[in-house]
Amino acid sequence: MSANLRRHWLLQGIASVGECGLFFVAVLRALPKSLRYWRELARQVWFLGAMSLVIVMTCGLFVGMVLALQLYFTLSIFGGTAALGTVVALALFRELGPVITALLVAGRAGTAATAEIGLMRATDQLDAMGMMAVDPMAYVASPRFLAGVIAMPLLACVFNAMGIFGGHLVGVTWLGLDNGTFWGNMTSTVSLRRDILDGLYKSIAFGGVVSLIAVFQGYTAPPTSEGVAYSTTRTVVFSSIVILAVDFVMTAFMT
Amino acid sequence: MNTVADNRESPAAALVAVRGLRTRIGTKVIFDGLDLEVPRGSVTAIMGPSGTGKTTLLRHMTGQLRPDAGSVRVDGEEVTTLSRRALFALRERIGYLFQNSALLTDFSVFENVAFPLRQHTRLPAELIRNIVLTKLQAVGLRGAAQLMPGELSGGMARRVALARAIVFDPMLILYDEPFVGLDPIALNQVLRLIRTLNRTLGITSILVAHELAAIRQVADRIYLIANGKLVAQGAPDELARQDSPWTRQFFGGEADGPVPFHYPAPDYAAALGLADAAR
Repeated sequence: MSANLRRHWLLQGIASVGECGLFFVAVLRALPKSLRYWRELARQVWFLGAMSLVIVMTCGLFVGMVLALQLYFTLSIFGGTAALGTVVALALFRELGPVITALLVAGRAGTAATAEIGLMRATDQLDAMGMMAVDPMAYVASPRFLAGVIAMPLLACVFNAMGIFGGHLVGVTWLGLDNGTFWGNMTSTVSLRRDILDGLYKSIAFGGVVSLIAVFQGYTAPPTSEGVAYSTTRTVVFSSIVILAVDFVMTAFMT
Repeated sequence: MNTVADNRESPAAALVAVRGLRTRIGTKVIFDGLDLEVPRGSVTAIMGPSGTGKTTLLRHMTGQLRPDAGSVRVDGEEVTTLSRRALFALRERIGYLFQNSALLTDFSVFENVAFPLRQHTRLPAELIRNIVLTKLQAVGLRGAAQLMPGELSGGMARRVALARAIVFDPMLILYDEPFVGLDPIALNQVLRLIRTLNRTLGITSILVAHELAAIRQVADRIYLIANGKLVAQGAPDELARQDSPWTRQFFGGEADGPVPFHYPAPDYAAALGLADAAR
């Protein structure tokens, strides 16, 4: 292959997708060993989950409020405002909860993980761990990946709860919808298996995708200040694209 | 495993033996048939112009990097073909001092030194504390145990890294440029530590460094590497007396010689667009 062709952006892109796939296999293989470092896993779940609560709760509240406001206006055209609770809940559980939570976590925690690991690489900390016979894949990469898979669905649940609370605030408290109608229609229409669990599966997948991309970008970041900066940006860009693409594919299979 | 036992029976045998090492990174040839031996209990210095792959050589010895060809034996084990598990087991017996210390920045000095113990042993907290404080005392930084790496000076960070490297009482310590960027006081402290560790604990030491005066005080043997090959070897005084172009340039510090001043480049006149004028 000529040097020119090797630098082609498309081939480079395909190559890095392949690299990321191999990295994913390596992360999975290091998972059993990484369970020994459960303290590190707990620390990462704390950082990824608990520390993201404020942003996730605030955003969930506002998304629910906006959703209720917009839908109330649309539904009132057809005289169907009684369905407000149902529609808000469905939109949140099936779509907005998992997707927006994943985008938020990618921006807040994914970038942090990339920058952290990139700097660890640049300052030889990963090599130093290897020299102390501690596998950095098991100590650094796998716990962060697993933490994403664990924390993301929990965060999405919190987001949904706050969203419904926000919807209730706008629909019932502000616009005067009947409280019983709001809850009654919601609980009778929303299905646990079809709506809530499907959304949960999505957010588990998003958790894996976001943390895999973040860790991979950090691990492969060139050890320069510019390299770490670009990798952090790429984490957000790639995560966002892949989240929405995976969302489409999963939705297509679920409905 | 027989070889390991054999080797332990004859303490005189080399702890590290490199044979016919060939490495290429990208298109650049780093090693082109390198041979060297490090006897047990010795302090061996590896010198050479910058960019000759001295750090790469250390990475070969620890299996962080596999050579294209050749053999690297450490304590009788062939590093180039070891499985990951065996390699990690070997690394537990090797201390490695990184050029930039490579302390874990999120952990305190104490936790940095305790890190290998916590990962590989299930010792009670009290014992870990005692071991860590002993090692920190050895490098004179017991009082700095609660500081974070960011609060340390370069010399202190290197001594902490050294404490971490010796926490398992290794058989071998690899020092990658231990003197770079240290003031004369810190340099002498590190130098004294290297010598003490070698003399009192019998730890074999391999030292990659440029500081001739320092190396002369501590090294039993110097290997001079250039152009991917061993160009000179011997005890420090012996080597200083040797009259080869390499030793003359290196020990005399001449700017030009077998190691050229100029990085390989196309013709100067042509590069300046003066080729026609010269013709």
